[in-house]
Amino acid sequence: MTDFTRRHLMVTAAGVGLASQLAAPAIAQTFPVRPITLVVPWGAGGGTDATARIVGSLMEKEFGQPVNVVNRTGGSGVVGHSAIATGAADGYTIGMITVEITMMHWQGLTQLNPDSYTPLALMNEDPPGVQVSASSPYKDLKALADAIKANPGRLKASGTGQGGIWHLALVGWLGAMGLPASAVPWVPSNGAAPAMQDLAAGGIDIVTCSVPEAKAMLDAGRAKSLAIMAAARNPQFADVPTLKEAIGVDYTVGAWRGIAAPKNLPAPIAERYTSVLKKINESKEFRDFMAARGFGVKWADAAGFAKFMADGNASMGVAMKAAGLARSA
Amino acid sequence: MRFNDLVSGAILIVVAVIVIILTLRFPEFPGQNYGPAVFPRLLAGLLILCGLVMVIRGFTAWRAGEPLAVVPSWARDPANIVSALLVILAALAYIFLLDTVGFVPLTLVVLLVLFLWFKVRVPVAVVTALVAAFGINWFFASMMRVPLPRGLMDWIL
Amino acid sequence: MTVDILLQAFALVFRWDVILIIIASGLFGMFVGAMPGLTATMATALLIPVTFFMDPVPALGAIVTATAMAIFAGDIPAAMLRMPGTPASAAYTDESYLMGRKGQLDLNLGTNLVTSVLGGLIGVAILVLAAPALAEFALAFSSFEYFWLAALGLTCAVFLATNDPLKGFASLFLGLGLGTIGIDPAAGFPRFTFGTVELMQGVSFIPAMIGMFAISELLRGVTSMQGSGEVVLQQVGNVFKGVGGVLRRYWVNFLRGSGIGVVIGALPGAGADIAAWVSYAVSKRFSKEPQKFGTGHVEGIVDAGAANNSAIAAAWIPALVFGIPGDSITAIVIGVLYMKGMNPGPTVFLQNPQLIYAVFMIFVLANLLMLPLGWAIIKSAKQVLRVPKNILLPMILIFCVVGSYAMTNSVYGIIIMLVLGIFAFMLEENGFPIAPVILGLVLGEMFEQNFITSMIKSDGSFLAFFARPIAGILGVATIAIWLIMLWRMGPWSKARPAAV
Repeated sequence: MTDFTRRHLMVTAAGVGLASQLAAPAIAQTFPVRPITLVVPWGAGGGTDATARIVGSLMEKEFGQPVNVVNRTGGSGVVGHSAIATGAADGYTIGMITVEITMMHWQGLTQLNPDSYTPLALMNEDPPGVQVSASSPYKDLKALADAIKANPGRLKASGTGQGGIWHLALVGWLGAMGLPASAVPWVPSNGAAPAMQDLAAGGIDIVTCSVPEAKAMLDAGRAKSLAIMAAARNPQFADVPTLKEAIGVDYTVGAWRGIAAPKNLPAPIAERYTSVLKKINESKEFRDFMAARGFGVKWADAAGFAKFMADGNASMGVAMKAAGLARSA
Repeated sequence: MRFNDLVSGAILIVVAVIVIILTLRFPEFPGQNYGPAVFPRLLAGLLILCGLVMVIRGFTAWRAGEPLAVVPSWARDPANIVSALLVILAALAYIFLLDTVGFVPLTLVVLLVLFLWFKVRVPVAVVTALVAAFGINWFFASMMRVPLPRGLMDWIL
Repeated sequence: MTVDILLQAFALVFRWDVILIIIASGLFGMFVGAMPGLTATMATALLIPVTFFMDPVPALGAIVTATAMAIFAGDIPAAMLRMPGTPASAAYTDESYLMGRKGQLDLNLGTNLVTSVLGGLIGVAILVLAAPALAEFALAFSSFEYFWLAALGLTCAVFLATNDPLKGFASLFLGLGLGTIGIDPAAGFPRFTFGTVELMQGVSFIPAMIGMFAISELLRGVTSMQGSGEVVLQQVGNVFKGVGGVLRRYWVNFLRGSGIGVVIGALPGAGADIAAWVSYAVSKRFSKEPQKFGTGHVEGIVDAGAANNSAIAAAWIPALVFGIPGDSITAIVIGVLYMKGMNPGPTVFLQNPQLIYAVFMIFVLANLLMLPLGWAIIKSAKQVLRVPKNILLPMILIFCVVGSYAMTNSVYGIIIMLVLGIFAFMLEENGFPIAPVILGLVLGEMFEQNFITSMIKSDGSFLAFFARPIAGILGVATIAIWLIMLWRMGPWSKARPAAV
């Protein structure tokens, strides 16, 4: 029963602290006093789940309180993102938000946008690669680009659902080459793994998805990556050129993951989170884990993350309208 | 309620027609003949077909003297209806109260009510409810980390 | 070299801590599987945070053991309570339950246990010996082949419909219709969500299954409970008695079921549930006495009991070789493999062969362990189910709530469970079978998505569905089966079977 009194007092203290601006720094010192929930909008076993779990386990060490990773899946990410946005802004519900938050509202799937959150930190960004089957006649990106220009509409691509990030990456790349979105029709798929399978089975011609997602098929010699849509090569896949190196088209895009809390999180708690996340982002465990999976590490603090999302949101809006994917809610 | 096929078939047709009306507002798939509305409409069409055959079959049976609806034997005993309603109410209680009340307190109440209604002796009911509520919470929430809501437990434990 | 690797693997497995974890997760799997409302997929998902901090071999060993046990244990409540413990037992729940009612509970559970163990071992043997070759075959499947596979799966519904094919079809269409709720698989448009966020995730399959089988049965249970309601339980005696005879008589069924399980398990996206449905339907189709199916007949159980367990190991084939999940369990396993630095791909056999062979050894061990553990659990299940119904039924309700909640991590799972539970209760009251609804829910998205994506690929040409060799064979076979069935159902057919 001593536990009862201690926790009770601390919770009460936190409650009083919330009520009073003056006592605000006190929250940050005692925070957290109970387990934290880290919501993940995507399924167990996926890349976002893995990233969230490593962040969660390192956070647990920093805070000395359990961090429960909770998958809230479905609705192309809307369900989880809305669970994060509608959680209590007391610091005990946070979540890993992903690039889809800058896209879904343009598609009319939700009202949520980057402004619905208190951004805490950007942790990762992965650029897509352009993958073709190992038996594909296109040995490099130039040959593929020429084939697309010669026969618009003949080659088909996949990698995610209609209007997903990898679809936008394809449309953006085609746009940068001066081609319309219809030059390579999109075949919606249930994620990158089924798309890579369809590529190997000869059902489609191109898969735009991140290189780590394609890794197993690349290692198996079933697919090859012709280029990545990034400013620099991925050290894990050093022989894959960037778009600019391959065909001189300067186009980059990426799927990112960051940590955010519901809107109006008290500033002292937000600052505490950002400093802990910075420590995690720089830690050897996190870097090693991300390198082992081939995931890119990226860092931006709360303000930087907010600006990053605002920029991404604007350019996604332009791209989705151009591709005819935008719909009003 | 056990309905004559005439009624079941008519319900199927109504549901299918509502589905078709809802699909009228679905957008076209850009550059595709087969959009989001195709599959639901196809299913609705097939359901209407099934419904029609059932209506005809049910109508024949009705003309032959089968009533439109029969109250099944279990429903003649009001106690049974209360039992079924209690199970449904218990699930509804979880749906509406789980997040605020929390898993352990709610489970205690739900189990006690059900046990007592089903005439479990009071001491057995109390002990079983306590052991079950805390045991399940310990195993799933603490050991397996299912995020069962704590609700009021935040103030107690 | 190989001996060296095997010795290393042996040393990794036969350590007291690893063995303890295997036994503990075996008990965990048995419990989860045997409890209506808790499923094998849930067991795997629950093990993730626990395995996060373990070494690779015990981590994967825990998952392997728990899932193998859970898939078998799902048969126990199916036979005793008419509630499948896991979706993989749903295909033959009625058959098992009717066997129990006929006083053949021992024979049913014994057959389930032995075919599960042997089917599981066949699955492992093929995983070890033929993984690369089978993965190759599975990898040749594009959306055209998957479309036909889904179509073939849907025809199983016809075999499942009992005495009223019309209502069977209506149930199937209702199930397929429920599957269209949520974001549509092609255009990404939210269908029938009425503006709510939760409905965008669609009708989650596992809470739906819990509702349609466990909750509807629960409603039937409480409304038939007179007074204190003692359970009428058949005596569980020697569960192994007579199993040898069944196996001798139906060894062809056993091999066929295991084979179907392996092939369907190895196909990405299919899995143990579909393997059980298909093998049960095949068993009925080729049986010499199909009229006995649906009356408590052991034959189909031999097929399906072997199929769902052999599918578990087979689902690891595409997962290990290509990083593509064979079912919802291996979808989670792939994440664990990455987490443990055993990146899936053919190189997994080159980089850390001792780890992979250690996992294979655990597979064998888990299946052998199933025999004593399964026997013990059958014996203790009898004790559990001897608990008076008025205590047991409320407890099952709580487990259903927890199981549904854990699949969506929100009360949405409980909503799905309740709504579909009442829906299924009404359907059964009015003579609509439940199994086709579940089948429609499982296969609906696969059917629609592969149809639409195939049409996009072929620029709207139907001929493309027959253009690839495997697709062509599957397509012709499917259409031939449909035509034969239509012919038989027609009024000109004199020998119209009572149960189509």
